[in-house]
Amino acid sequence: MSFREKCAWVSFVLVVMVLVGVAAGGHLGIAGFHYFLTLLIGFALLQGVLRLIIAWQAPKDARTPKDEREQLIDLKAARIGFYALVGGVLLSMLAVHLHGNPWSGLHTMVLFVLVAWAIKLGAEIVYYRRGR
Amino acid sequence: MPPLPITNTIRKLRFEHGEMTQQDLAERVGVTRQTINAIELGKYSPSLEVAFRIAAVFGVRLEEVFSYDVGASSSMPSER
Repeated sequence: MSFREKCAWVSFVLVVMVLVGVAAGGHLGIAGFHYFLTLLIGFALLQGVLRLIIAWQAPKDARTPKDEREQLIDLKAARIGFYALVGGVLLSMLAVHLHGNPWSGLHTMVLFVLVAWAIKLGAEIVYYRRGR
Repeated sequence: MPPLPITNTIRKLRFEHGEMTQQDLAERVGVTRQTINAIELGKYSPSLEVAFRIAAVFGVRLEEVFSYDVGASSSMPSER
């Protein structure tokens, strides 16, 4: 498994964990600000540490810039994630319209940003597995 | 996923060039080992630039590395 595929797996698992955490904390409302902040900081720290460990195991791969196949995979996955994000933004607008609560809209929007991110990373993993 | 109509002789050429490893070839071409592996297995078609660089590493013409199987492709433009 390549360095970038490992990074995609790490990010995918962490984003799904944060997604579950954000979804579970939906009832907290604005009072859950510190909870979400902790999730975000935990995510950033854990991702940084895990990526450093992966880079330490394969320093040569980590230093190599993305080649054309990896750039193509990145672009194709980002396109899929973009469609998910657009769908999520529209649903968030619908949530604000239905509930009349800006917090609900913000929470839905954060959820869909994470969903779109997870879809992008999932697509990257599939493309890496397939080779293109 | 349909197979690509482009076939190559990279494995054979590597063997003929002193059992060159995929990593060696990748470093000389400027791509990752996984990309060389994907090209060799016919999973990925490289850009023209990378194809020329691969041929240059082996010191052969492009046609000696890559060939296009017209019969395998169903998306060939029809002749007018």
